[in-house]
Amino acid sequence: MITVEHLTKTFNVSRQQRRDMSPGYSGSTVDAVRDISFTCNPGRVFTLLGPNGAGKTTTLRLIATMLRPTSGSITVGGVDVARHPVDARKRMGFLTGNTGLYDRLTPDEMVKYYADLHGMEARTYSRRRDELFTLLGIHDFAKRRIGKLSTGMKQKVSIARTIIHDPEVVVFDEPTAALDVITSRSIIQLIKDCRTQNKTVIFSTHRMGEVSLLSDDLCIIHRGSLIFNGGYADFQSRMQTASVEDEFVRLVEAA
Amino acid sequence: MNHFTTIFRKEFTDTIRDRRTLFFMVIFPLFLVPLLLTVITKLQTSSMHKAEEKILRVGLVTNGNAAELVTELRQSRGLRTTEGIPADSAYAFITRDSLDAFIVVARDFDTAVSQMRAGTISLYFKSSEDYDMVKRRLTATIDQFEKSLTAARFARLHLDQSIVNAVRLEEHDVASAKERFGKAVGGMIPYFFVIFCFMGAMYPAIDLAAGEKERGTMETLLTAPVTRFQILLGKFAVVVLAGILSAGMSLLGVYVAVQQVKEIPQELMQLIMGILDVQTIILVLSLLLPLTVFFAAVLLSLSIFSKSYKEAQSLISPLSIVIILPVLVGVMPGIELDWVTAMIPVLNVSLATKEIIAGTIKPLLLAEVYITLFVLASFSLWGCAKWFEREETIFRGA
Repeated sequence: MITVEHLTKTFNVSRQQRRDMSPGYSGSTVDAVRDISFTCNPGRVFTLLGPNGAGKTTTLRLIATMLRPTSGSITVGGVDVARHPVDARKRMGFLTGNTGLYDRLTPDEMVKYYADLHGMEARTYSRRRDELFTLLGIHDFAKRRIGKLSTGMKQKVSIARTIIHDPEVVVFDEPTAALDVITSRSIIQLIKDCRTQNKTVIFSTHRMGEVSLLSDDLCIIHRGSLIFNGGYADFQSRMQTASVEDEFVRLVEAA
Repeated sequence: MNHFTTIFRKEFTDTIRDRRTLFFMVIFPLFLVPLLLTVITKLQTSSMHKAEEKILRVGLVTNGNAAELVTELRQSRGLRTTEGIPADSAYAFITRDSLDAFIVVARDFDTAVSQMRAGTISLYFKSSEDYDMVKRRLTATIDQFEKSLTAARFARLHLDQSIVNAVRLEEHDVASAKERFGKAVGGMIPYFFVIFCFMGAMYPAIDLAAGEKERGTMETLLTAPVTRFQILLGKFAVVVLAGILSAGMSLLGVYVAVQQVKEIPQELMQLIMGILDVQTIILVLSLLLPLTVFFAAVLLSLSIFSKSYKEAQSLISPLSIVIILPVLVGVMPGIELDWVTAMIPVLNVSLATKEIIAGTIKPLLLAEVYITLFVLASFSLWGCAKWFEREETIFRGA
């Protein structure tokens, strides 16, 4: 379970960034995320939807402990991420559209590295590795350098790396953004499997097809603030337009 | 297995599989340096031999004087004299490379000599060619001619030649051969290992921080249940090891190169081998460790700050000049290790190495060098760790 309460993240703005921002902006800080609260429950897929620069990645990085909140709190499986980041990370898997793999390692070495970082015992690791490698079909290329693998193969290794320690919470940051339709399917399937296994899943996207395919709960974030937070079924029942995409655009423009 | 070991092992495997890093860490210092040194030395020796054995084309205008010298020059095996060219063409002939040298004996040469005055011989040559060998070879013949004339004068005057020496200077150099060699050549050793230590550490530092950020692996690594300090320490240890390995390889490379060059006199070779004793090597390497830690901290800090591999390269490359300068200063004569220079990083290592090789290192100054390097290394490691903790650094531009 992930609980986010009154979360705010403020960044200092450099002179260059100030120039790149909207004309007339003269502040020295910017709120990437402003006073947001939501809860992600086990066995449900929580979707974070928003346009580019809305604050999706910042929110996920805060949950994954890569960034520290300016104010507010986040708990993952009951662990406060600001106070006990290492404990929180033990409970989490993190996957992005970028596979985040080392080209000069083999899939075997890559997955073992993360298993070791998670402190997995040899026997548990061995069983889990065989299970995942069979499920994802990695055995055939387990000893080849990752740099020589196709994008699809890499994504499978990335999935194995993310869930080797069987995390209770899985964070997906635009996991299909850079992938083709075929490769994206393995990610979609992984998210569905995580739900079946009663894991807490939070994922960010701006692909409307994925929203309707996967979401149990939905948050729409725009300019760092939530403009919708509720069940996906609730969102659909309140729609004033014909499609999810149109409704999303309507909400963003109205905000 | 603890996290440090896990990260270190992975980073080391990743590093030695990188061809570029491997090239700068092992291949370049171990093979290319000895190869370059051997080839350059052999080429230089060969061209010096050629210059020594080359038949010199010498224009000669004697005006009927200095018959003895003319005979000597004509009979000399390495010379081909040409006469009949006007003296005022000497400059043009040498510039056009039609002649290697031109000797003009003054019209009144014999008269001047017979009257106990100095006769004039003009020698035209080009010092920029053949290691100035033309001048050296011809002046040797002319000097011999002068000696015979001087001896004849003394004989004519019934004088002993030694009366011109009012003082007989007896020199007693108390410096041992090791000391002389250490002071003269010892400064060159750090020139190799400091630069290679920096270069060897440079590519792993760039790859393990900026490279990771660019490839997107840093983001996932930061979600692993380890502290940032543990991550940094694992990377840091690999960068330090790469620097030390590279420096070690460069020393080994120089050693191999010295063995390959047959032109080094036997006595000098024995001296070199005598200097390279275990104590000297351990002392020099013990200076290298804190210096590498300092290099690693600076390199990693810049690499962590960079958004991409390219940016890190452009930030770090100019640093190599900053490193070379103090090493060069250390090679200069007159710069000694004292309580001030012992506090200047890199320069202190260069000077201390010179003193260690010469066997003249003062324990207090060596201690000062160690303290300076360890303080610097600790401070830079602490700074690097703080830098790695900063969100603004890690996610700069992300």
